[in-house]
Amino acid sequence: MAEPLIQVRELSKHFRTYHRREGIWGGLQNLFVRDYKTIAAVDRVSFTIDRGEMVGYIGPNGAGKSTSIKMLTGILVPTSGEAVVNGFVPYRQRRRYVKTIGVVFGQRTQLWWDIAVIESFKLLRRIYDVSQSDFDARMELFNSILGIKDYLNTPVRKLSLGERMRCDLAAALLHNPPLLFLDEPTIGLDVVAKHHIREFLREINREFHTTVLLTTHGMDDIEELCRRILIIDHGKVLFDGELRELKQRLLRTKQIKFVVKDRADGEGLSRFAVDGVELQPVDELTYRFRFDRTKVSAADLIRQILASVEVRDLLIEDEPIEEVIKRIYAGEATLEVPA
Amino acid sequence: MSLRNIGVVYRKELVDSLRDRRTVISMTVVPLLLFPALTLGMGLLGATLMSRAKGEVPLVMVVGGEDSPRVVEALKKNQKIEVVPGSADFADQVSNKTVRAAIILPKGFDAAAEHGEAQTVGVDYYEGDIKSELALDTAETSLKDYRVTLARQLVSERGVPGNLVEPFKVEKTNVAPPEKVAGSTLGGLIPYFVIILSLTGAMYPAMDLTAGEKERGTMETILTSPVSRTDLVLGKFFMVLTASLATALLSLTSMAVSFFLARNMIDKLVSEDNPTVHYAIDPVGILAVLLMVLPLSVLFAATLLAIALFAKSFREAQTYLSPLTVIVIMPAVAALLPGVELNTRTALIPILSTTLVGKELMAGNHPWGFIMLIFLSSCVYASLAIAAAVTMFNRESVLFRA
Repeated sequence: MAEPLIQVRELSKHFRTYHRREGIWGGLQNLFVRDYKTIAAVDRVSFTIDRGEMVGYIGPNGAGKSTSIKMLTGILVPTSGEAVVNGFVPYRQRRRYVKTIGVVFGQRTQLWWDIAVIESFKLLRRIYDVSQSDFDARMELFNSILGIKDYLNTPVRKLSLGERMRCDLAAALLHNPPLLFLDEPTIGLDVVAKHHIREFLREINREFHTTVLLTTHGMDDIEELCRRILIIDHGKVLFDGELRELKQRLLRTKQIKFVVKDRADGEGLSRFAVDGVELQPVDELTYRFRFDRTKVSAADLIRQILASVEVRDLLIEDEPIEEVIKRIYAGEATLEVPA
Repeated sequence: MSLRNIGVVYRKELVDSLRDRRTVISMTVVPLLLFPALTLGMGLLGATLMSRAKGEVPLVMVVGGEDSPRVVEALKKNQKIEVVPGSADFADQVSNKTVRAAIILPKGFDAAAEHGEAQTVGVDYYEGDIKSELALDTAETSLKDYRVTLARQLVSERGVPGNLVEPFKVEKTNVAPPEKVAGSTLGGLIPYFVIILSLTGAMYPAMDLTAGEKERGTMETILTSPVSRTDLVLGKFFMVLTASLATALLSLTSMAVSFFLARNMIDKLVSEDNPTVHYAIDPVGILAVLLMVLPLSVLFAATLLAIALFAKSFREAQTYLSPLTVIVIMPAVAALLPGVELNTRTALIPILSTTLVGKELMAGNHPWGFIMLIFLSSCVYASLAIAAAVTMFNRESVLFRA
């Protein structure tokens, strides 16, 4: 088997920060006496990613996702551990290395704010040494998939978030990198824009075997794009494996939200909260059932409820990722890091 | 370091800045409007105040002149003052400015003077009040003239030639070229304004290109590109320098144009007392000043970048940079003080040295030794500042300050 594209071993990043005291007196104290403490934003993380994989790097806010990406893209120097990507050590051979990767930060842009998109592209072409013919060919391709031609002459600040994200993706892929890092690529986008971006990512992965590592704190990106996921929290990898497996083993809990017609119907729902089915009132007319999907059939439960209670609306949900992580902590799942 | 990458970054920043209205305003509109307004406003105000002060004939009180009509008569001959009879509260009247000065004659002045007895005449005036000082000057001149006339009369009565009282006369002739005279008055001001404006012109882009970029979130993305951090900071530095020099150049141009337009007005002001002096500015002097300001602009651009980079947001950057204006103005103002002169010690103080040498250059002097020393020392300071900015950019703790 070929050498993995990304090899990360015991990678850590520590930041020194201080405890900020509250109030006016605390603020004054902060000026003179600070209790510094070291925080491990990323704590001895190890994993490997093969060429052509699309991997979701997930975890709640502040879990260490962005710090990991910044180390893998060569912006930050790790405190300890090592990383080899595309045969380079990112923070040591940064300038040669970054010509082989593309990076998109969802809440940021590498397009310059006040100038037209096409001018940013032209500048990037020079920075990345892309030949004019390659540049033209790729612009043609991006236009056919992303449809960016219409706003190439618009300044970035006038683009919608979705339009900007498409342009940012095109910018990150101008030099045809074999590896793409995406930090929260769909954050803040509407459903249609999200769909476009995901389509595009699938397309380049299929066509060019571009390896994609994307971070997100929602599950829907992952479910549509990735077979494999890495869950990180408090700087540590909690899970590394197939999404399917995670679902089977950890996403046991299903949630169904019912909106009923009146309060009496709500009381009627309580009859069904038996045999491991939990009922939580959300508000006066909304109730949430939680149950283990391996033990209770969602279809059966819904059928029984609809037969006896007047329901206005219902919504089937997976457990939020935060809950899954909580359960990993509680020892209901084990870490699966390949040797 | 790659010149090509520095060029790419510079071009990007330049294009970006020119699209940003705030940069353009701080770089062009301010100097273009400030100077005509300042010159015309100050010129008009000065002209009005001076002509009013000169138009008014100051009242001078003569105290104790009742028994000395001759001296009072001599004083009254001077058209530039109006003599009023004395009263006991003369000191108060001078303070209240009801009269501008008071001449206090001793009792029996005329009689004593005829016998050549030594006596003292007092003049009360109010220091700091221009009109009172003018009255003092005139009164003093009148008294001195009267003293000479009296002495001449006394000696000739005793059969001695009158010339003996005044064996020689002093005649003043101004040989300084006109631009030199204008240079000494305005010369100090021109480099001062150029220095301040080259700072303020650099301030906005320096904040925008560092803290502003952090705030907009474009800093991380540019850092993932194959441009080294040194190239990045140098590209940004050249942009800030461009803004600084553009502001300085535009302000000089606008200053020259507005002085040219207001020439007649200022000329009248300067030449009223001294008809041989005419107002003029040496264009070579202005160019020389610009050349001397160049290393200073480099120093400003690099220092501003290094400091602004430390800030997390535009607002924070403003907090750090505003005190810098005061720090720059202080030595620039110090150079305008009388007695502060160019020597080997002041030539090594940045800003102060440039203002001082600018003053000399505008006056048509070219102290080559100092010019070289100041240019070189400013270049050394500027290089240190660039080195500091590059170091700051290469520090993770500064770029990603939590």
